[in-house]
Amino acid sequence: MPSSEDKPSDAPLIAKLKERDPEALAAAYSRYGTLTYSLIVRITRDSAVAEDLVQEVFLRLWNRIQDFDDTRGSLNVWVLAIARNMAIDYIRSSHSRFTAKTRSLDQTDFASISYKANEVDNTLDNSKAVREAFTNLNPNQRKVLELAYFEGFSQSEIALRLEEPLGTVKSWMRSALTRLRTAMQEGRSK
Amino acid sequence: MTHSEMDDLYELYLLGALEFEQAAEIAEHVDRQCAYCLAQLKESSRVIELLPGLVDIKQPPAELRDRVLAIAAPPVKKSRPQWPAAFALACAASLAIAFWGLGQQNKVEELNRQRNELRGALAILSQADTKTVSFGPGQSQAQTEPQGRVFISRNGGVVFLGNRLPQLAAGKTFEFWLVPAKGTPQPAGLFKTNAQGIAVNVLAKSVNPADYAAVAVSIEPATGSKQPTTTPILIVPLA
Repeated sequence: MPSSEDKPSDAPLIAKLKERDPEALAAAYSRYGTLTYSLIVRITRDSAVAEDLVQEVFLRLWNRIQDFDDTRGSLNVWVLAIARNMAIDYIRSSHSRFTAKTRSLDQTDFASISYKANEVDNTLDNSKAVREAFTNLNPNQRKVLELAYFEGFSQSEIALRLEEPLGTVKSWMRSALTRLRTAMQEGRSK
Repeated sequence: MTHSEMDDLYELYLLGALEFEQAAEIAEHVDRQCAYCLAQLKESSRVIELLPGLVDIKQPPAELRDRVLAIAAPPVKKSRPQWPAAFALACAASLAIAFWGLGQQNKVEELNRQRNELRGALAILSQADTKTVSFGPGQSQAQTEPQGRVFISRNGGVVFLGNRLPQLAAGKTFEFWLVPAKGTPQPAGLFKTNAQGIAVNVLAKSVNPADYAAVAVSIEPATGSKQPTTTPILIVPLA
């Protein structure tokens, strides 16, 4: 994987998007389109729907970039949070669960306070370590994490779905997150 | 909860996996810029934000790029109706009233929902290609039937704005439908009227008006339906 120095910064791209430069949208799509599409396909399991939602994600990026604080957050996190929310809203809607509570990562401050844009690449460098850690989770730990992240279920919803006690689900979730956190920290220290 | 009790919850909060009460408590700390919580969330986000990297990479079709880039195509200039400004004011007033009318527990969530709805609606109304369709009785007719407008934009989505909709029984909701010329209606959102009797439904997705003959509203169970289970109370032809 190339070092973070080899990767483009988001700052010029964000500035161009805020100027409503069409080429910036093309650049944003080149940078994030594939991962956005992949994430939405993973959540919806429908490539045709994913195409529509990817268009929606970039429409929202284009229309709401003025709200984005590029000094406090990273563009990729914002884009992927929008994608996740839209995809989860879609599956909830299509499953007649449209009114269920969803976390709105793209519309709350905590996503944008996460880290500076120039830390993104370092973070992505850790994804390999986290992916390895994820494959090493036991099936229950992996399942609860997948249900939470890719389907937007709360812990109690997961407990109902898996027909397991809530305390057990919380324990699996906690241990899964701990393993990922440890893997990320180890990845950072390398 | 104390901060130490929250320590195990920040990642779950970012995942959206907490129950409402716990999430609301953390959100309250975030809203008042609690330094401890902000720092913990910053650290916790490092794990959560890596999770998209767990997906298998799929290459999108080449034509999707063209669809996305069409978003930035210069709009065709045309005179715009004054509805967006009036709609924004109506929604803002509705938002403020609704906020004070809600109970403590759910007011933040409801306010956020309505704020997002307003933003979504304004994004659609600001599209150059937005088409407006009015429905309801004329000036000389009885003012008891549902009345309102539907705004539809290929690039933005659909906004339904109506009033004088019938009262909903407990456990029921309005469901909005896109009705294709051929085929079955497609569910397009659940909504209720606010305290002022105004109903707003925002569908933020690309909708080609040419693909649909009408939009409709029916009364459904609170969780919605995949297909209308009652006769629609409203059918608005788009032609």
